[in-house]
Amino acid sequence: MSESLIDIAAPEATSPDDQFDQRRRPGIWTALRRGKGLAGLVLIGVVVALGLLAPVLAPHSATEQIPGANLVGPSGAHWFGTDEVNRDIFSRTLYGIRTDLIVVFLAVPIGAAIGIFVGLISSWWTFTDVVAQRVFDLVLAFPTLILAIALTAFVGPGLRTVFFVIVAVELPVFGRLTRTSVRSVREMPYVEAAHVVGAGSLWQLRRHVLPNSMEPLLVQLAVSMSVAVFIEGAMSFLGLGVRPPQPSLGSLIRDGVRNLYDAPFFAVGPLVIVVALVLSLLLVSQALAEARRA
Amino acid sequence: MSESLLEITDLGISFSHPRPAVRSVSVTVEEGEVVALVGESGSGKSMTARAVIGLLPDGAIATGSVRLRGREVLGLPEAELNQVRGRQVAMVFQEPQTALNPVRTVGWQIGEALRAHGGVRGKAAKDRAVELLREVEIPDPEERLGFYPHQLSGGQKQRVVLALALANEPELLLADEPTTALDVTVQAEILALLRRIRDRTGTSILIITHNMGVVAHLADRVVVLRQGEVVEEAGTRELFAAPRHSYTRQLLDAVPRLPTPEERVHAVTVDDAPAVATDAVAALEYDDVRVHYGSRMRGRVLPAVDGVTLRLERGQVLGLVGESGSGKTTLGRLAAGLVPLAGGTVRVGGEDLVRARGRRRADLRRGLAFVHQDPEASLDPRFSIAEAIREPLDVHGIGSRKGREARVTELLDAVRLPQSFLQRRPRELSGGQRQRVALARALTLDPRLLIADEPTSALDVSVQAEVLELFADLQQRLGFACVFISHDLAVVNKVADHVAVLRSGKVVELGPAARVFGAPSHDYTRQLLAAVPVPDPTVPNLVTSATGPALREQHIAS
Repeated sequence: MSESLIDIAAPEATSPDDQFDQRRRPGIWTALRRGKGLAGLVLIGVVVALGLLAPVLAPHSATEQIPGANLVGPSGAHWFGTDEVNRDIFSRTLYGIRTDLIVVFLAVPIGAAIGIFVGLISSWWTFTDVVAQRVFDLVLAFPTLILAIALTAFVGPGLRTVFFVIVAVELPVFGRLTRTSVRSVREMPYVEAAHVVGAGSLWQLRRHVLPNSMEPLLVQLAVSMSVAVFIEGAMSFLGLGVRPPQPSLGSLIRDGVRNLYDAPFFAVGPLVIVVALVLSLLLVSQALAEARRA
Repeated sequence: MSESLLEITDLGISFSHPRPAVRSVSVTVEEGEVVALVGESGSGKSMTARAVIGLLPDGAIATGSVRLRGREVLGLPEAELNQVRGRQVAMVFQEPQTALNPVRTVGWQIGEALRAHGGVRGKAAKDRAVELLREVEIPDPEERLGFYPHQLSGGQKQRVVLALALANEPELLLADEPTTALDVTVQAEILALLRRIRDRTGTSILIITHNMGVVAHLADRVVVLRQGEVVEEAGTRELFAAPRHSYTRQLLDAVPRLPTPEERVHAVTVDDAPAVATDAVAALEYDDVRVHYGSRMRGRVLPAVDGVTLRLERGQVLGLVGESGSGKTTLGRLAAGLVPLAGGTVRVGGEDLVRARGRRRADLRRGLAFVHQDPEASLDPRFSIAEAIREPLDVHGIGSRKGREARVTELLDAVRLPQSFLQRRPRELSGGQRQRVALARALTLDPRLLIADEPTSALDVSVQAEVLELFADLQQRLGFACVFISHDLAVVNKVADHVAVLRSGKVVELGPAARVFGAPSHDYTRQLLAAVPVPDPTVPNLVTSATGPALREQHIAS
């Protein structure tokens, strides 16, 4: 059976010295240069640009109250309309993206980094492994929102709380995944070869195990980022997230729902942005996952 | 008008890759004939067989024609193919471990094969299953029906796989490397069985193999494939006696051979000179070494190595041979400090490996090197060849950057690879080239002791010959001591000065290679030697001519 795979993967070249497969395996990064991956990246780029350029693009500041414009519908002056305290929703949405970007591109990577580090170190020795895994079990046993509510009870609502919750939720996810990855890679003969040569545990981990365990972690990173958008949304929606008047996509949607009857247009803009952000991240993660399987 | 049972004409198989897997293969198999498809990896032999039974992977494009009794099989719809599969053509896979469903009994699996063609059920099916197991010479067939695959030995599993293939009395049996995964003694029994099945039932067999010994003992006719093309086709005796094509000759020459009986007599007279007794420190000593698997707490302790005492002098090669489960690999890993010791001592260069701590231990380690079996997995896919060879120097911080690079260049030369390989990744190298890189990496620190665990088992014969030659040359020049582990007696014979034959964790015979292989004193060694299929059809093989159920296997399974 293995024979047939070799037949496919590396048919012999004419000269025996040329008997290798000339095609380099496309790294999973190439998946981001075409199809879904590219579409996802472009979409992420657009949303990020909107957020970063908010001060330039936004006609008003996030908190500026415009006299006489109470819950007016979309128009040339106010693209997404205005809210119940006369603020421009379009401007608030642009500034709200910034809040989510912090969560997506800062909180998730921090949680992931800590998780990967803990997973890597703990899985190398039996005792630390048992301890770390039980702690992960404990955290994962809580539904995210219960965890969020519990944490809010301690530190109060705010962006900081959202940040902590996301780190706390993502840490065990990455810790687990790292452990699984590490466990399979560490059994590879090339790790053993380094061991026999005299390389210590840290060397083996840093040079061989971690780089070869990265791929599934990258896929998970993109998935986790999209989940983070949801968590922020859900927490702000419940009033556990950012405190007014600071805007975030989640809090804008909450305000929109509150004014649903008077101003049905209110939440549309923020919702579109949330969908775009989640969709683009999922597209990227899917493209990476497919490239990994190929 | 007599029609050939199987007629493959100008078969071509290609994938999206620019090089086709099979270019043009034409093979015919007559009624009751055993034809061998021989070739190295990438020659397209497996693909050819798969085309016959309609098991080509997705995306394969097949051209040409495959006719079974005049009926075109290529491009047949799945439903009609199912009529052919099992009934007319059946396949025996290489790995009996994975070809059987682990959660179903042997009886159920045979029943399934019978049901698949709407055949017999119930009592009749059971009777037929017993009959089939008897056919493949499994002792106590009635009882074995209720066995799960894990309760059977490797050889018995392959017999069951064979029984499954025979269930619907196919006219043609496709056997894809049916004995490659088995030990030599078991291989000999399975080969003998295949021959007897052919004689009893008249089933034709198309056997795919890379092993010339297997060919010599089973096939009536041989078709040699290379890069998807037939290079030679001839009767077995003619082919071995007078190969016409240079590639066939090369293939036959590359097969490592054991001394023939005449040579053996010669060897004995020359050899019995006493080994040079040295007082010098041995490169490696095993002193009543024991290794256990399993834990005492769970009450199941299996000895992997059971009281082995061996001594390897400096600059010599000690061959460890034995079948799977004999403990040869464990002994090798023990010397590299990869397995915990349960008793006894292992001394490397006179020092106790286990008790050494700190600097001493690091120094001992530096004098040791290990070459793995699988060149596929023993190099980090992310490292370039230069990085892989340089790694030991980096680990120990030896030399300047320039000095390290110079050493890498030197080593690459030593294993006869071009400098252009330095920046390549392992994936861009063939198996043999990768194994050379692994060897270079092992030699980076000038080891005093090299442990090679089946270093050539994953390689094709011609590549194996080159790597072995390179290895012997390097060993001579650099003078390191070496533990060479292999299940292939002929390979060990080629490189080892002394040989230890292992069985169930014990040394059954120890001596100079020429003596052990030339005039074995232990029964088991003789049995092993007799089981090796000799790549010469004119030499009768002892085990092949033996008949009757395999009692030895019964012993193992119980």
